[in-house]
Amino acid sequence: MNDDNNLSATLAAATCALLGASAAGPVMAGETDRWSFDTALLYYAESDDRVQDVSATIGAQRAFEDDRLLNLTLTADTLTGASASGAIASDLPQTFTSPSGRAVYSTPAGETPLDDTFLDTRFALNASWTQPLARLYTVSAGLGFSTEYDYTHLGANVSLARDFNKRNTTVSAGLAYSQDDIDPVGGAPVPLSQMLDVGDGSNKLSSDSKDVLDVLLGLTQVLSRNTVLRVNYSYSQSSGYLNDPYKILSVVDGTTGDTILRTPAPGVAGPTGIYLYESRPDSRAKHSLYAEVKHAFGAPVLYGSYRFMTDDWGIDSHTGEVRLRWPVGDASYVEPQLRYYMQSQADFYHPSLVQGAALPAYASADFRLGEFDAVTVGLKFGHRTSGGNEWNARLEYYQQNGSISRDQLIGNQFAREQYPDLKAVIAQFGYRFGL
Amino acid sequence: MKALSLLAACLALQGCASVGVEPWQRDVLARPEMSLDANPIDAAIDDHIYFSKEASSGGRGFGGGGCGCN
Amino acid sequence: MASPCEVLIEDAPEALARQIAETAAACAWRIERKFSRYRSDGVVHMINSNAGRPVVLDEESAALIDFAATLTTMSEGGFDITSGVLRKAWTFDGGSAVPTQAQIDEVMTCVGWRHVQWRRPVLRLKPGMQIDLGGIGKEYAVDLAAARVEDIAPGVSCLINFGGDVVARHPRRDGQPWRVGIEAAAKAGTAVRIVHLTRGGLATSGDSRRFVLHQGRRYSHIIDARIGWPVRDAPHSITVAADTCTQAGTLTTLAMLKGMECESFLRASGAKYWIQACPASPQ
Repeated sequence: MNDDNNLSATLAAATCALLGASAAGPVMAGETDRWSFDTALLYYAESDDRVQDVSATIGAQRAFEDDRLLNLTLTADTLTGASASGAIASDLPQTFTSPSGRAVYSTPAGETPLDDTFLDTRFALNASWTQPLARLYTVSAGLGFSTEYDYTHLGANVSLARDFNKRNTTVSAGLAYSQDDIDPVGGAPVPLSQMLDVGDGSNKLSSDSKDVLDVLLGLTQVLSRNTVLRVNYSYSQSSGYLNDPYKILSVVDGTTGDTILRTPAPGVAGPTGIYLYESRPDSRAKHSLYAEVKHAFGAPVLYGSYRFMTDDWGIDSHTGEVRLRWPVGDASYVEPQLRYYMQSQADFYHPSLVQGAALPAYASADFRLGEFDAVTVGLKFGHRTSGGNEWNARLEYYQQNGSISRDQLIGNQFAREQYPDLKAVIAQFGYRFGL
Repeated sequence: MKALSLLAACLALQGCASVGVEPWQRDVLARPEMSLDANPIDAAIDDHIYFSKEASSGGRGFGGGGCGCN
Repeated sequence: MASPCEVLIEDAPEALARQIAETAAACAWRIERKFSRYRSDGVVHMINSNAGRPVVLDEESAALIDFAATLTTMSEGGFDITSGVLRKAWTFDGGSAVPTQAQIDEVMTCVGWRHVQWRRPVLRLKPGMQIDLGGIGKEYAVDLAAARVEDIAPGVSCLINFGGDVVARHPRRDGQPWRVGIEAAAKAGTAVRIVHLTRGGLATSGDSRRFVLHQGRRYSHIIDARIGWPVRDAPHSITVAADTCTQAGTLTTLAMLKGMECESFLRASGAKYWIQACPASPQ
């Protein structure tokens, strides 16, 4: 057997003599990929040159024997552009001190003030390990870490699931804890303190932190041969520094609703109006109930989900989402996606504060704490290659429509744009492969 | 109260025992797209975007976050 | 065949599925009846009980004997259908009982294809010799069953498994491969590896519980017919994928005979293979 090609040929000939020409064709076999990768490149862009985000994510999964699984996810994120500061539009141009406290930026008359000094790069790493524990139990534990120039997050979670009823029912319970450190540019402002001139940092503290505890109880139930349901209840308790250190409120005249003007100290640049840094409570408890269903109508698969969230800040929200994955040919699919979201405003949401009135303990003009609804429409296309890999592309349009109740508006504010609609395009390209 | 909720949980599980499929009827459920976590990266990206633009987060899994964006 | 046989059929009407299963089972029973050395009504029994006298074989038996003779040539005598009698001397129970060289030498007088007169279709064993087609019968049966099933149900996706010898002729209905687990040597019922099989045969040789320890070395249950001793330091198991299960099974046997050199042999053969090494094997 010096010539191994000779060996294969001899064997093939001998087999053919034994079996006749009964082989179906050359063998096609391979080992299961040890690693499977799921990667995505994301581009997010808001209209009017507001926030733009480019991010890359690599998810890697390694399956070991006995159903043990290692999951790693790495994300890199670059954010640029401007976002609403919370101050209201005015008939006059407005000047603000930038978060660093070292420069100013201006907003033309009639426009919603945007803080355009945003530039952030974020790296996040998550790792989790899942394995069976006894016959019907599965345990999973994970660690997460992320870093930005002004923010560091460290989190850990653990969950346990048990199967019942021929594995048609799975009950799970999980716990997650995270500790985040916030070190804003120029320091964390004292809540409700006034925005000061350039160079005056007397209202800024160095840094702060918050911690979040999450409890998740889940039930997964197979309803029929082609329908599966999941219901989750979750409770989340945040405490510590929950402000957005870059958000402010305009102080306005109680009759006209115009921003109170201010003159910077001689020789220094500074804000031209009175603006206070926001103040949120130092704790927040959220409850949410989430249900999702997947149903296969033959080859197409429908996904539907609903989430109700309520918290002790007075925010209630409803989220509904449907997706329909529709196969096209043997190897491709299209998936239209639709999402609707609505929330009520936080108890302490104020578009502006009135000069001379008693200062509330908590106040924020952050639009994300106001009342709005949002719609996302999207389409995903996926294609499986002959090698078993998949690439996919997703295009989505997201729009928020805010509304401020009339009793929160004063005088001239009615005539101005108060709640600029947010419009964003999301484009995502993904590739899944194994090694 | 505790005993009552425990009882409710037991009853719910009893109820669940009457629905479901036999192991050999899992052909459709075994399709990758029928997995409830079929697209973890999409889900993570969505969670991240909505976390930074809305007041709600999580529900499907743990609350998301770990980001200075909200 | 003293091992579980199964047919996995995807999405066929019940009547057809039944027909497929019955066809595969009929094939398995027929081959077993004909070629098992334990069956008194089979061809192998007939040959063995007539050792010393010429026996005329039918077409199918003659083809199998031809194939076995080719294997003996390919393995330079390591594989030999007359070596089954050595199992009287060797017991592979994980213990350390080893026969004396004298016992082995005595049995070896009845081992060796060169002592057999084979002029197709006439076979004549030396008195005292026996043949055993156990090493190739199961793989042959599963290939044959797959061909029969293809005849009665062309294009239907199914996986036929005769005790670990596996054949698939078509991918699954959704175009995905069949996923076949290779059982862990150390732990029955758990898979060390999952092989994706779209088309072809898959065979595994080796068994963690069938070996003997002698002077600190592990001897596998594969006996080298040239010396009458089992192969030293062979891996726990070798799995090979090939066009047919017969080819895959042959390659696992030839590789096992190479002992520690099995991997370089398999690499050179160009076949797809998976080896479960033997961690306890002292070097």
